[in-house]
Amino acid sequence: MKAFYVLCAVLLVFGSVSEAKFDDFEDEEDLVEYDDNDFAEFEDVMEDSVTESPQRVITTEDDEDETTVELEGQDENQEGDFEDADTQGDTESEPYDDEEFEGYEDKPDTSSSKNKDPITIVDVPAHLQNSWESYYLEILMVTGLLAYIMNYIIGKNKNSRLAQAWFNSHRELLESNFTLVGDDGTNKEATSTGKLNQENEHIYNLWCSGRVCCEGMLIQLRFLKRQDLLNVLARMMRPVSDQVQIKVTMNDEDMDTYVFAVGTRKALVRLQKEMQDLSEFCSDKPKSGAKYGLPDSLAILSEMGEVTEGMMDTKMVHFLTHYADKIESVHFSDQFSGPKIMQEEGQPLKLPDTKRTLLFTFNVPGSGNTYPKDMEALLPLMNMVIYSIDKAKKFRLNREGKQKADKNRARVEENFLKLTHVQRQEAAQSRREEKKRAEKERIMNEEDPEKQRRLEEAALRREQKKLEKKQMKMKQIKVKAM
Amino acid sequence: MSSNNMSDPRRPNKVLRYKPPPSECNPALDDPTPDYMNLLGMIFSMCGLMLKLKWCAWVAVYCSFISFANSRSSEDTKQMMSSFMLSISAVVMSYLQNPQPMTPPW
Repeated sequence: MKAFYVLCAVLLVFGSVSEAKFDDFEDEEDLVEYDDNDFAEFEDVMEDSVTESPQRVITTEDDEDETTVELEGQDENQEGDFEDADTQGDTESEPYDDEEFEGYEDKPDTSSSKNKDPITIVDVPAHLQNSWESYYLEILMVTGLLAYIMNYIIGKNKNSRLAQAWFNSHRELLESNFTLVGDDGTNKEATSTGKLNQENEHIYNLWCSGRVCCEGMLIQLRFLKRQDLLNVLARMMRPVSDQVQIKVTMNDEDMDTYVFAVGTRKALVRLQKEMQDLSEFCSDKPKSGAKYGLPDSLAILSEMGEVTEGMMDTKMVHFLTHYADKIESVHFSDQFSGPKIMQEEGQPLKLPDTKRTLLFTFNVPGSGNTYPKDMEALLPLMNMVIYSIDKAKKFRLNREGKQKADKNRARVEENFLKLTHVQRQEAAQSRREEKKRAEKERIMNEEDPEKQRRLEEAALRREQKKLEKKQMKMKQIKVKAM
Repeated sequence: MSSNNMSDPRRPNKVLRYKPPPSECNPALDDPTPDYMNLLGMIFSMCGLMLKLKWCAWVAVYCSFISFANSRSSEDTKQMMSSFMLSISAVVMSYLQNPQPMTPPW
């Protein structure tokens, strides 16, 4: 019982002591706000330090929010403290030595300035800002896209208007020369559609057929890519013209055998490299046409002189001279097969199919800055085309010319066969080897040994027969030779 | 103005139908821009989606627009639309993942 009472007493004592401690703290509540500050546990009972530290505590807390105002207040308070300290007795003023507090004024300043340093004004992240200005790159991108779309619509419309203007100015001439003007190949009956086929936003086709001498005429209006902004910008560096390409396919009986081209020197050099027939039959460099009265800008590529003489009659010269700025190239050929095809084997094993063709490439005036009314300037060129068709029918080589032409064609064919002979032999050899290998594999794969033996014997017999045949042939040749 | 004023040069009995040129060699000879741009657009949009690069996605949108502008009429519209949708989705996904505006490299 006694022990129990002693225990209770001890507990009571402890409880009162702790309460007293808390009382101490509670007494100070008026002066201090006891938040969770670091200085609470370091506060002594001494009033001075207690009064000082709360001041410091207040100031530091205040400093975090507002710097200027509280400092002044704090300074005033401190001065007040110092005054109070000085008015007290010497014994009590000992702790209040001036020297002791000399650095003190700076301390709060430094402490407050220390507190100032970590305070940095952080930029609000851009996406949380409510301003469109930070998205200027995106706005730029969208503007660029809109500009592209606008240019697409404007370019497409312009090309369409140019094509329509061309067709309107040429319609009458075409309809008077061809039965079928405009065909896309899809209708059951061969009726004129009377309009252009739009292949692209910048390419328009027109097929005309039903005339003497020719099978048909394909007109291709190759405009500039006005609908593509990149192309428009590239063209600002390097002006290019719209082009009209006309391809007339002649009947076999209506055109003699010759290869001839006239046009700008640059165009002819390019054609000579690219086109199969021009590279084979017209091996010389493009010659000047001044002899025939052509301007210097035009040159001639021809298979033989007689063809040039025959082609360059007065009317043709008149056409070429007057419209030289609009003519890019004029190419007549009975061996036309298109541009050279580069195959992987190096050479095609078969000669490409040829067609008697007249090709015309005209540049639209304006060098890119074309207006619909400029299309009428191309009408005389269409007259030249019609005239050329009739001329090609009328023009015939004389006997010598024909012989030369035939020799040329035979020569070209022979060369081709020689070049491909080696390849054809190799192809045949490889095929034979493949067959042998396949047979051998079959024999090896046969599981039955008897069958194997039989197949091997059969193969041996076949080889022996071949050898015998060869020997017979050799003997026959020898006999014939004798 | 026909060259032969006496007789009409037209021959209705000699009409030949239009045959579109064979497409085996033509696509190669023709301008390859739409195909390249299509491929580029897809590559850029995949880069933009995987690597979360906004500028890649924008370039992909531009590529698909250029490809569309240069396309031939015979080309499949489905392909165009799919590349276009892919590039738009790349842009949208980049901004959903990271709404901050694009920063220029300079």
